[in-house]
Amino acid sequence: MMHEVLEFTQSWFSELTGLVSQGSKRVFVGYLLSAAIIAVIWLMWQRRLNFLAAVGWLCRPQTWWSNSSRSDYWLLLLNQPLMLLLSPLLLSKLVLATSIFYGLSDWVDRPLWSSDISAFWVSVLFTSSLFVVDDASRYYLHRLMHRWPVLWAFHRVHHTAESLTPFTVFRTHPVEGMLFGLRSALVQGSLIGIFVFLFGDLVTLLSLLGANIFTSVLNLLGANLRHSPVPISYGKKLEAWLISPAQHQIHHSQAPEHWNKNFGAFIAVWDRLGNTIEYGSNTQELTYGLGHQKPHEHKLLTLYWQPFKNCWRCLRRNKLEPKIAMSVISETP
Amino acid sequence: MNKTLLSIAVVTGLALSAQANAAVYAEFPITVKNYTGDKVSSESYGGQMARHGLHNSVKNLISKGASLDQTQAYFSGKAAGRAIINPVSKDGFPVLQTQIDELSKGKNLSGKTYKGLITGMPGGLTGLELLELMMDKAAQTDNGFDPLTGYDYTQLISKFAMGAVFYNQAVDSYLDEKLDKPNNKAYKEGTAYTGKEHVWDEAFGYFGAPAHALELTAAEVYGIAKQKPESFAKADYNGDGKVSLVNEMAYAHAYYAASFDKGGKTQYLHTIVQAFVDGRSLIASANGETLTDAQLSELMGYTDIIKTQWQRLIAEAVFKYAGSVYGDIEKLETIVEANGDAVKAYRNYAKHWGELKGFALALETGGVNLGETGVKLNRLLGYSPVLLGNTQVAALIDGEFVQSSSVSMSEYRVQMIKLQKLMIDDFGVEARNKDVTANLAQLVDSLGEALAAEND
Repeated sequence: MMHEVLEFTQSWFSELTGLVSQGSKRVFVGYLLSAAIIAVIWLMWQRRLNFLAAVGWLCRPQTWWSNSSRSDYWLLLLNQPLMLLLSPLLLSKLVLATSIFYGLSDWVDRPLWSSDISAFWVSVLFTSSLFVVDDASRYYLHRLMHRWPVLWAFHRVHHTAESLTPFTVFRTHPVEGMLFGLRSALVQGSLIGIFVFLFGDLVTLLSLLGANIFTSVLNLLGANLRHSPVPISYGKKLEAWLISPAQHQIHHSQAPEHWNKNFGAFIAVWDRLGNTIEYGSNTQELTYGLGHQKPHEHKLLTLYWQPFKNCWRCLRRNKLEPKIAMSVISETP
Repeated sequence: MNKTLLSIAVVTGLALSAQANAAVYAEFPITVKNYTGDKVSSESYGGQMARHGLHNSVKNLISKGASLDQTQAYFSGKAAGRAIINPVSKDGFPVLQTQIDELSKGKNLSGKTYKGLITGMPGGLTGLELLELMMDKAAQTDNGFDPLTGYDYTQLISKFAMGAVFYNQAVDSYLDEKLDKPNNKAYKEGTAYTGKEHVWDEAFGYFGAPAHALELTAAEVYGIAKQKPESFAKADYNGDGKVSLVNEMAYAHAYYAASFDKGGKTQYLHTIVQAFVDGRSLIASANGETLTDAQLSELMGYTDIIKTQWQRLIAEAVFKYAGSVYGDIEKLETIVEANGDAVKAYRNYAKHWGELKGFALALETGGVNLGETGVKLNRLLGYSPVLLGNTQVAALIDGEFVQSSSVSMSEYRVQMIKLQKLMIDDFGVEARNKDVTANLAQLVDSLGEALAAEND
């Protein structure tokens, strides 16, 4: 028993240190550093601050040590072991990929054109498909989270954040974490199965710092600033294609005109197709959170338990149909 | 006081040495009542080791293009004076014996070859008839390879003979009906072992492991079978400066078990040898009396382990070579597409197919009806590799293999995927060398399987 506890604690600790030491993680120290550099340069350029003032503005305690941010850190700490316990329950990517591979081999002939493509292009195709399909599925699931009352009950936790830092990504209810895991297993498992069926050993992931090259390049370019008080806008032309930090901050805004906007993760095309796009501005000033929030919203018990209560309320009132979730739970996003 | 301490030390020392000996298949006591000979231990399996020498030699002879007479001298002949063609001394790896007779006199392979029907090849032949036919055909080829059918007879004969002689004799005879031999009298008049002791030894001999296999790692046993100079010290257990082909060498399925186990996912070698050692110790513990029901049931437990693990390790070989054939066809397709020279790739394809088919046929010789699994195995594999013109051997007519049109090579490649899956589903293989789905696991690794609660 003692041995298991020790082993579990060790994997918990290594998961935590892995978060900042591995390039496949969003808060990898390299990405945080590049985001900080970009933020300082932007503040000096757009807000005319000197270097020290820019750094000082970024390090304000109301950003990093607010009730909201402190509860982010707790969730980050406590969700890790929970997810370790829950992950065996999830669909494994490998099982799905293998089933799809065998299924396709059984029922379909490998098309002749698949042997005409060189290894390099196979990898480009695989890596970009993975990035695009993954991103599209994230948009869709995120949209559902806002539209289905039972899902909003859990996703709401993320939107109770009143100050945004890169660690706000961990302000996530474990049930929502499970849904994200399922989504990622479905998308990645299927694509791996299909690509290996088509191209066999030629399939490799083009990677940088141990992650999909598209993701890591975008992370290096400051994707972490989406959860920050720095409203970097790319301008309308580019924001029609790529979600800027300013656009995601709009998604977290209390203002009713911003509700249900910008569900996208990296690619903005899905928001345009789904009529949910809102362009950002370098000068935007937003208040984050749900509005009318009570102080206990940042308490751990509330963060973990309230979603179940809300979910139960929806089920009891038979409010299952997809609709604008916020009106059902009668609050702002 | 001193005497007491001394006796404790002696008893402890004896207990420790008994424990150490339990790991080696050697020095089992003589339990035959009234034995008057000069032997000091009862294990004996020289005949089996002679057959390993014969098998290795036959394989070597066919690959070098020997005549039928030469190969038959080792397959069905029993004459005295036959030199061991393989294994022989190498630089850094000297072996003790040079003559088959030094291992055991008057032995052949044909007398111990499976005589049941083999369904995986055409013609309705028995195991022995099939081996005889292939020996004939091999002698008519250049170095055992027939490019017209894609048959690599060296591999086909060797891998099938390992099944039809060693595996069959061990699991379907010695660990089966012959295990009923009495334990309360000598095997034959004057022998140092009882009937049960000896049949158990013979089964162990056929597996092909060195007697001290439990003291070696899988990689070391692999190195011994390959006669690597760096493995010599590990092989020479008694330290006489030479490797005895009776109890210090690795052969046949024990070698394959080691080759899978060194990947770290399986323990075939040690599991099987441990069961042999435990079973033999159990028989010895009966001290020359009939085994009680409890002892017999324990012994059956060991035979079950041996049979299951041995069958699975052959299935591992089928799995591995199905993966090799899959890769060979991919290469062939690319070369043919580019109008390149396919001679070498075709030869590799035929070699791996020969190994694949030999092991697949071996699965038929274990004394168990494979049922639907056997049918699927035969249909997926066919009677020969699919050749470049999409033909395959379909029948044996008047002693000649006849081809007809078959599935395309590309479809045949896919059948190798199904064959691997069949080995996983029906035999539970775990080492899974040359897994055609390995890339799936690598890609999943590269993306990370870990679950994290992170939001968008």
